[in-house]
Amino acid sequence: MTRRGGHLDLVHELLDHELVDVNGTPCGVIDDIELTGGIGERLRVTALLVGPGASGPRLPRLVGWAVARLFSTRRVRVPWDQIDTISERIVLKTTGASLGLGKLDRKVGRWLARLPGSDKAH
Amino acid sequence: MKKVLEIFLGILTAMGGFVEVGELTFALNAGSRFGYDLLWIVALGTLGIIVFCEMAGRVAAARGQPVFNLIRERVGFSGGLITLIGANAVCVMTCAAEIGGIALLWQLLSGWPYRPLLLLALVFFLVVVWFFKFNWIERVFGLLGLLMVVFCVAVYMMEPDWNEFAKGFIPGLPVVESSREILVYAFFAVSLLSSIMLPYETYFYASGGIEDHWKPQDVNLNRVIVLIGFPLGGVLAVSLIVIGAEFLGPRDIEAHLPGTAAMAASSQLGKVGLIVALLGMFFAFAGAAIETAMSAAYNLSQFLGWPWGKFRPPQQASRFTLSWVVVFVLATLVVLTGIDPIKVVEYAIVFSVVVLPLTYFPMLMVAQDRNVMGEYANGPLASVLGWFYFIVITLAAIAALPLMIATHGGQG
Repeated sequence: MTRRGGHLDLVHELLDHELVDVNGTPCGVIDDIELTGGIGERLRVTALLVGPGASGPRLPRLVGWAVARLFSTRRVRVPWDQIDTISERIVLKTTGASLGLGKLDRKVGRWLARLPGSDKAH
Repeated sequence: MKKVLEIFLGILTAMGGFVEVGELTFALNAGSRFGYDLLWIVALGTLGIIVFCEMAGRVAAARGQPVFNLIRERVGFSGGLITLIGANAVCVMTCAAEIGGIALLWQLLSGWPYRPLLLLALVFFLVVVWFFKFNWIERVFGLLGLLMVVFCVAVYMMEPDWNEFAKGFIPGLPVVESSREILVYAFFAVSLLSSIMLPYETYFYASGGIEDHWKPQDVNLNRVIVLIGFPLGGVLAVSLIVIGAEFLGPRDIEAHLPGTAAMAASSQLGKVGLIVALLGMFFAFAGAAIETAMSAAYNLSQFLGWPWGKFRPPQQASRFTLSWVVVFVLATLVVLTGIDPIKVVEYAIVFSVVVLPLTYFPMLMVAQDRNVMGEYANGPLASVLGWFYFIVITLAAIAALPLMIATHGGQG
């Protein structure tokens, strides 16, 4: 993993930053951060969490509840060792699809594929 | 040559922001009601949108980050979500008004009923945005929106009192009979400022810069574009105020329909003037409809980290594509209810000034942050102007709703 500077500010440098895969395709925004470690133990970042299931609980309770009902509670866990670079964007070492990111985008994409001209950048 | 054509991003953004159906009504009515007294607001607003879009374009070129990406990063999820909902509600309402305005224009030309024309306009937009490349959207709607220059010609032929005209650019209060009239003047001033500094202009402009693959070395190109595109829009807004003052005011005509402005052009330039004005308005409204629908889709995609942009095939930016389709459909449904498009856009303009500081502030914060912008951070001029306009728009945002309520939407 490469990044600027010495220490990492989780809230300012990770949370709410865009996640892109190895090809530069956006794969979501870092909605939450998974930390592991008990009391007295070393606290470690083990994964970044993406999806409404991770961002919903950050909203005021009633709004969060509505979002969960209206959309989904799906969240994708991106293991920390899959992160390549941290700058304005968080860059993955691999493709988003291999980590289960952007599933809905591909589903809607297959549906759009039936329309003429959907495979060309216009 | 390709770089020269980039200018049309600025022109389209400015045309779609300055001379859409709402600006047309507000500027004409402002002129008809207060003569040249509000011209200084156009100058103030034009410089403001130049400052704001220059920052947005510079951040897009230097960091490759569009507006809602920054809002999410700086304000977080909950705060950003409020801004997103407000911004996109304004986009849908404005898009609805433009589609309504286009159907009204087509009705003038064809005599066909209004509602089927709304549906026809919807089909037109879906086909155009699906099949046109981004730079062709820029060029076609930017270039042909320039037909609106016919209003400048009409103003020149009206031979206005240039002395009075120049005085209009000096800030001040008009001579009025009652304190109530001052409130109406203030309402028009805030609305006119808002209709020029529409926040969707920056969403579209910054995303458009990324669509056009701007790199850090394009920051100077960005400056040239904002310095040509937006003053051009400003000149058109000034022309509309003069038309309001010279043509509508003395005849007691209130601009309720987009066709009113075309009448002014035809009074000076005959049938040719009428046709050029109607065509210019069509392309300017269409540009605004595309700008708002795409802005809403850009905002949503950037906030949630979806692949976005016309530079990707629709299949690969599928939720983005679906978003602009949904915005066009929703906007058409709004006007299909029979609600007056001019009323819709008047509300949209007043609410957009309330949203404006929320999008402006994170942009200002990033643009002046040397840690992230390096050599491209705000210099002394951009800093002073940036903070000055932040104060101006915050005051406007605070005053907008109370003024709207107190004056019954400018009715007095």
